[in-house]
Amino acid sequence: MKYSLLTSLLIALIFVGCRPSQKITRIDPGTTTDLSGKWNDTDARLVAEEMIADALSRPWLNQFNRNNQKPPVVIVGRVRNESMEHIETEVFTKELERAFVNSGEISVVASAEERAEIRDERLDQQANASYETTKKMAQELGADFMMIGNINSIVDEAVDNRTLAVFYTVNLEFVNVETNQKVWIGNKKIKKFIERRNYRGMP
Amino acid sequence: MLDDAQFDLRDSFTAGDYQRSEELLNKFRNQDIYRSKDNVLFNLESGIIYHFSGKYDSSSVFFTTAEDEIDENYTKSVSRGIGAFLTNDNKLVYDGEPYEDLYLNTFKALNYIHLKDWEAALVETRRMAFKMEQLDIKIKGLAEAFSKSDSTDKADWETGKVNIQNSALSHYLATVLYAKAGDFDDARIEEEKLNIALKEQESISSYNRMRDESFEQLRKPNSYNVLLAGFTGQAPYKVQEDARIFIDDYDDEQNNEFYLKFSFPVLQTHRSRVSYVRAVINDSVQTSLRLIEEMDKVSAEVYKAKQPIIYSRALVRASTKSIGTKLVAGAVRKKNEFLGDLLQLLGFIAQETTEKADLRAWQTMPGQAWMKTIQLPSGLNTVRLEYIADNGRTLYFDEFEVEIFPDTELELVESIYSN
Repeated sequence: MKYSLLTSLLIALIFVGCRPSQKITRIDPGTTTDLSGKWNDTDARLVAEEMIADALSRPWLNQFNRNNQKPPVVIVGRVRNESMEHIETEVFTKELERAFVNSGEISVVASAEERAEIRDERLDQQANASYETTKKMAQELGADFMMIGNINSIVDEAVDNRTLAVFYTVNLEFVNVETNQKVWIGNKKIKKFIERRNYRGMP
Repeated sequence: MLDDAQFDLRDSFTAGDYQRSEELLNKFRNQDIYRSKDNVLFNLESGIIYHFSGKYDSSSVFFTTAEDEIDENYTKSVSRGIGAFLTNDNKLVYDGEPYEDLYLNTFKALNYIHLKDWEAALVETRRMAFKMEQLDIKIKGLAEAFSKSDSTDKADWETGKVNIQNSALSHYLATVLYAKAGDFDDARIEEEKLNIALKEQESISSYNRMRDESFEQLRKPNSYNVLLAGFTGQAPYKVQEDARIFIDDYDDEQNNEFYLKFSFPVLQTHRSRVSYVRAVINDSVQTSLRLIEEMDKVSAEVYKAKQPIIYSRALVRASTKSIGTKLVAGAVRKKNEFLGDLLQLLGFIAQETTEKADLRAWQTMPGQAWMKTIQLPSGLNTVRLEYIADNGRTLYFDEFEVEIFPDTELELVESIYSN
């Protein structure tokens, strides 16, 4: 009896000990989670917040509205990643698009890739949709400005590899599609100081 | 055991049997031959096997993991300092050689070119250039960390000079990618760096390179739509070298016999049978690929700078063990001379049997990189990459069907012959 009780306890202990240790918790997407020191959602959010506020508050917008009596139409072009990390620029460009559209002050048209799919659909409608619901060809809204930009980074690493400073600079620009005039240039700088964990004892 | 596994893996890979290499690697992993401390190696080998099997996404995942682990393990090595000097290096977590850390980015860049993601490929070439620039600092940092934690005064923690600060391969790829992205100024800067890198590497070259041909054409993106890449040779391999010191200074008062054996790895390059690589286009036009980088020679040069640290570590480790044996044997000898002598003898035997160099290295890395850009007409083309020996005999060839469309920007045709 005593023996079987001990065996059961041992098995229970092994079972509990071998349980997967993974724990998942849902957290607020606005929470800052700096785990590796690499570019992350917080950096993308900081860029988006600054750029949105800047783009919507600069004189170019009022000037355009005054001269044209309509909000400017913007197309999102290429934001080049010139850094040493793989950065998904769409994370913050989509944030910008969303803010512009929802503000009602800037109209946004579909990007080149998105357009291709929509054009295919429109073409398909000409043959397959009912006359009343078929959308007309050649009615696309031409963009007044294209948003382009780049991300650059400078890495400065300590000799012992335990501390690292990374400086990111993100530039976004609105370029007049007709005249090539740059009407707005936004810039966001982020500097990170990363202290790596000490040796954890694993050989 | 791992050393044998590494040889088997190299053999299967050089035979071009990537399926077998993948199976072998997984078998070794399941048999716990590649342990968690060897994760870097496992990921490097997997990365290249998947790359040449055409599984580019998976290959990049393995290389990214290897790169992150190298970074983390290097920090541990620096932090660990003298704490692990008593342990043979091969019992420690493998933190990759600096050249392995460098060349994994080459294959990641090529993965992204295959996947038509120029921007991501450029990230990798930038990382290569950065690592190359940082090499000297990194190796000196390692020596400094070990020196600080070494109180034995047995070793000079010097490093060799890194004579190569540019990777021609990274600059070649970057020139092509910048040109194709329309960044002509960046392409020009990369081309200049490419020329500097080739000049730097002249002294270590074992081939006659075509020095007169300029790379200016790389900056004209409309002059080519295909990048040919041929890899030859094998990764350098590590062999064990042993050094033994025996001091017999016997006097009546005490036994001053001192025996020291230390083992360290020495990097050796494998001579490729390939004299040059050429491409035969549509069974008619022939063009030779240019030797862009002797990865094996660059690796050996980079390793040379780290070699003094490896010697010093081995020396300190062996000295510490030997002094320990001597002290214990001396203490026992005072009470029982026979037992003291026996203990010292056992200490000598233990040094002979336990001292072992760390021979772990990336086995499937190629030895040389040959490249060329060409313009192919629209339609289906055949491209045969031929590997030619000194006597003009074709050792091996790979044939590809390359379909070119009017909007094709850059097709990568890549092949490897490891012998």
